[in-house]
Amino acid sequence: MFESLSDPVDVLTAFVDGRMQPLRFRWKGRVVRVRKVSGQWVRREGSALLRYFSVEGGGAETYELCYDPRGPSWVLSRAWTGAK
Amino acid sequence: MILLVDMDAFFASVEQAHHPHLRGQPVIVCGDPGRRGVVTAASYEARPYGVHAGMRLAEARRLCPQAHYVEGNPEKYVALSLQLLDLYSTLTPDVEPFSVDEAFVGLGPRVTLARAEEIAHELQRTIAQRFGLGASIGAGPNKLIAKMAAGLQKPRGITALDEEGFCRAFWPREVREMWGVGPKLAVRMRSLGIMTVGDLAHAPEPLLQEAFGIVGPQLREAAWGRDDTPLVPYHRGVDAKSMGHEVTLPEDCSEAAYLEGMLLRLCDQVARRLRSEGFVGRIVTVKIRDRRFETTLRQRALPEHTADCATVFHHARALWREHWKGDEMRLLGVSVSGLERRAAADQQELFSPDQRLRRLERALDGVRDRLGEASVVPAASLTHRGRLGHVPFGAVPGRPARGAGKPAS
Repeated sequence: MFESLSDPVDVLTAFVDGRMQPLRFRWKGRVVRVRKVSGQWVRREGSALLRYFSVEGGGAETYELCYDPRGPSWVLSRAWTGAK
Repeated sequence: MILLVDMDAFFASVEQAHHPHLRGQPVIVCGDPGRRGVVTAASYEARPYGVHAGMRLAEARRLCPQAHYVEGNPEKYVALSLQLLDLYSTLTPDVEPFSVDEAFVGLGPRVTLARAEEIAHELQRTIAQRFGLGASIGAGPNKLIAKMAAGLQKPRGITALDEEGFCRAFWPREVREMWGVGPKLAVRMRSLGIMTVGDLAHAPEPLLQEAFGIVGPQLREAAWGRDDTPLVPYHRGVDAKSMGHEVTLPEDCSEAAYLEGMLLRLCDQVARRLRSEGFVGRIVTVKIRDRRFETTLRQRALPEHTADCATVFHHARALWREHWKGDEMRLLGVSVSGLERRAAADQQELFSPDQRLRRLERALDGVRDRLGEASVVPAASLTHRGRLGHVPFGAVPGRPARGAGKPAS
């Protein structure tokens, strides 16, 4: 099932062709390698533009990461790990 | 030639594209799956079970218990819809969004139907590669044919029709399949012996005029595949006709204070949206749906245009109090129509006795512009706290505090 979260996470990020791309992040003591960014979108909150990334991990798990430029900080906002 | 690009089961397909474990599975997009509500979208895998948009979630669970129930994310869908419009705009500047998951793409009069069909195939492939989404595309010489053709083959279909092809394809079909003929109109048409689109095309014009007024002859023209509605590119923009918000309550409720608090919250969201987009309106409509699913709409015209929450709420509450009999409610909605651009109404404001109120409103809007919608809200609208899990479209859920990772209060 999907877990709704607000977990601050450290994210290794690349900037390619002027675009931000999360590569790996640390969550619950382990490093998750981003295999694929399957979608991205933005949401405005006041004057800040939050960037969301839907990413696939090493296995079947998927995550939603959010970059908040006000920190700047990264937050893991949703996860599906297959766990019941 | 014009294309109508219709994204297949858009919201559910986006979730499947973003989450591989959902692909090939029945997916139902809804509000908070832990609470009651209605189905927002059903994937094609869920549809054979009889699940469709607008159905109660409890009914969907009974029909398709094995489906994945996913909480929808309207902002994500709108953002993707805009990305799709950007893609269409690489073909032509003549792009008109028709809804969040449909858009007309004007290819110009020199493009043949065969070439339009080729472009549709290329576009369909690009959408699949870039977004992982399916689209059904209709092509035709006008918006009517493009729109109706898109519905003929779904999902991932492409149908190109000229006027002759349109008549061949649609004349044998039931009249309710005509764009613009709703269920009630279809019943009235059938009572006149108009059973198919072909019957409508051949119905005597005076009969249609008498029965349906000006719409009758227009529908007869449409039944021949004729339509001269212009395509309005979205960069030119079309002013909104109304703005509204509604919410399905987490449980049926007959508690007056709670319901009026919810009404205030909706009025605040509507008024804020009017102001931020530079509109004022003068018709307030309240929508209420009771536990038996009976829906009532009541509206009132105001003496002056407004974008002021207190004024909208004053009239919405009066309508609510007139029509609510103490029943348990399921859904509340507020909308404002009769919109005008604010500049025209600013003249009235010069003579308004409520200058302090206007200044306060501007200051509060400034805070929300900077910190987000949930940063300042009317205190009396917080009666829902602790009872409402679902955050309606337009409101902003709590964000993590800077550096702390905990939700802001």
